[in-house]
Amino acid sequence: MQRVWPKINSMEAPVLSARRLCKRYGSFVAVDDLTFDVYPGEIFGLLGPNGAGKTSTIRILMDIFKADSGEVELLGSPPGHSRERVGYLPEERGLYRDQRVMEVLVYLARLKGVDSATARARAEAWLERVELADWGDKRIKDLSRGMQQKVQFVASLVHDPDLLILDEPFQGLDPVNVELLKGLMRSQISEGKTIVLSAHQMNLVEELCDRILLINEGRAVLYGPLKQIKDDYAPNSVRVRAANLPDSLPGVASCERNGAEALLTLECIGAQDLLAMLVARNIEVESFEQAAVPLNDIFVAVVQGQNREE
Amino acid sequence: MGAGNQIVRSGTKLDKVLTIARHEYWVNVRRPDFIIVTLLVPALGLIALIASVFFGRQAGSAVVRLFDDGNQLTAIVDQSGRFTPILSRFGEEFIAYADEPAARAALEEETVARVVVVPATYPGQEDVRVISAGSRFSGSGTSGLRSFFMAHLVKEIEDAGLRERLLDPYDARVEYTSEEDQAEGGVAAQVLSYVVPILFAILLTITIFISSGYLIRSVAEEKSSRVIEIILSSVTPQQLLAGKVIGLGGLGLTQVFVWLASASGLGGGLALLAGIVLPFFTRGEVFALSLVYYILGYTVYAVLVGAIGTLGSNFQESQQISGIVTLVAAVPMMLLGVFFNNPDSILVRALSWFPLTAPTSMMLRLPLGEIPWVDVAVSIFGLLVTTPVIIWIGAKIFRLGMLMYGKRPGILELVRLLRHA
Repeated sequence: MQRVWPKINSMEAPVLSARRLCKRYGSFVAVDDLTFDVYPGEIFGLLGPNGAGKTSTIRILMDIFKADSGEVELLGSPPGHSRERVGYLPEERGLYRDQRVMEVLVYLARLKGVDSATARARAEAWLERVELADWGDKRIKDLSRGMQQKVQFVASLVHDPDLLILDEPFQGLDPVNVELLKGLMRSQISEGKTIVLSAHQMNLVEELCDRILLINEGRAVLYGPLKQIKDDYAPNSVRVRAANLPDSLPGVASCERNGAEALLTLECIGAQDLLAMLVARNIEVESFEQAAVPLNDIFVAVVQGQNREE
Repeated sequence: MGAGNQIVRSGTKLDKVLTIARHEYWVNVRRPDFIIVTLLVPALGLIALIASVFFGRQAGSAVVRLFDDGNQLTAIVDQSGRFTPILSRFGEEFIAYADEPAARAALEEETVARVVVVPATYPGQEDVRVISAGSRFSGSGTSGLRSFFMAHLVKEIEDAGLRERLLDPYDARVEYTSEEDQAEGGVAAQVLSYVVPILFAILLTITIFISSGYLIRSVAEEKSSRVIEIILSSVTPQQLLAGKVIGLGGLGLTQVFVWLASASGLGGGLALLAGIVLPFFTRGEVFALSLVYYILGYTVYAVLVGAIGTLGSNFQESQQISGIVTLVAAVPMMLLGVFFNNPDSILVRALSWFPLTAPTSMMLRLPLGEIPWVDVAVSIFGLLVTTPVIIWIGAKIFRLGMLMYGKRPGILELVRLLRHA
């Protein structure tokens, strides 16, 4: 089931490149021969079911764990040599509960090598952007969960990193704050930053990510541009809305109707040819589009399919 | 993919360590419980002081009554005529009575504490008799009589020089050939120069324990609040551990300093502080070595305690695990008696060589006198060799323990995990 596409955007040097990473805990293999690249200016989705090895991979990238074998290059140097230029929002996260928001943000920025005055100014600006400007003097424990989440997000980029690694950033956020976060991530990209995003909300991944890596049991299962993966998984499906669509058409294997809309699975006919045929038959086509399979379905199909194989 | 486009930032490795140290210090020094514990000692001292001012008179006299019979007046029944009139400088303690019955009556009435009857034949064979109100246990009964008798008897000698000499036969200046460099200033200074460094050694050993306590707490808090993963994405475990060790060591010293300063403030000005510092200046090598052992000792313990502390899943559990290490450090303190009575015994020397007990042992031994240079060399060498190893293992355990949640690992599992860390 493993399909690994060649990287498409090989013109630019990757911001992050991992080669044949392996990590074992005793007899348990957490990361198994993982190879991938992340390119500048993209949002890269790192996906997988729980326990697939995402967090282990990220911890290796962040130099919190050492890989048993394999190589990693982050911003042109091995992990740990460019901590100041990387921002990290871990999945297992928290902040000093008894300390004040501003104090914590300045301390975390100081640890990234930013001087106090700059750290304070940047923290203030970011609190403003996440609508927490009045909360700088409050203790972390007095903040709601969503607010803490936003402070943690700010903590990951208060030092203006070039590469941002976000592990489940949307967990526990309400829809309004999800939108806020999406906006902030997009604005980071427009400033030329790169984001590695790990998330379980497939609709958000679809919306945000340019390329993805799906891992299961430590191994790469899907890797490449999101669009190409989706095309690959639904090579010949079209969604047609037409008033008088016949039940059977030449070259169409199946037809799933849902009111006026039908999902046609094509067998030995291209989408262009089908459209031409419909037009030739004088069928009034209201809409005609290549049917994209939701990433969620691909995810479930791939992971379940793989687990069945074993 | 060159490194040419690196953003210039100020964060050297040492800067990060110091940033962590400063943060740990300032966050903890403002904690209410730190302030309470730190101020508790001076507060108790102050309460004692106020109490003694308020109740001073009553308490004072109660104490005096407890140890003193109150009336120390001595009745002299001088049948020989040599002791009357009483010399004026004895006037407050001695009073002359004409005959024994009168004196005994005064004793009954507690006007005097004892009666001394000097027979007419004095200085012949007949004994001087003393009738005392106290029991056999309350004193010798004759205390103070020697100088009274001497003073009155030497009056009769004409040679003034001899008279002086009889009262103060020698006024010696003693020279100790084996202690030529010793502090001058009499017995008190001599005793201080031994006792104070020992007290200081004990105090410093206590700061090791106090600071380790703060360290465990800081580590346990960062772990349970899960802020640790964010921190470890910015600094290495070694830097984090080093920063904590330095910052919280400073915190422990602050506490001791406040205690010392308040003790000296309450207990008679700067006398105590001077008493503590002066002996060190007169015995420079003791001070220098104490400092070396303190720094090495604190580093070893703090690193071990900090690292092992990460293995617990909460503060209490971490404290229990680290307790084992602290116990080892405390062994020399428990054997204080052996150190005092038998400073050259093989047990004491062995404890001085073993790196984990060396700092406390040596700090206790230093003030006690000459120490074989082998012991100093072996203990320092042992510590210098062990410290990097302990820091290395400590940082590994720390890295592992900080990210490990849930069940505490057994020893075997720990060894296995460490190999993979």
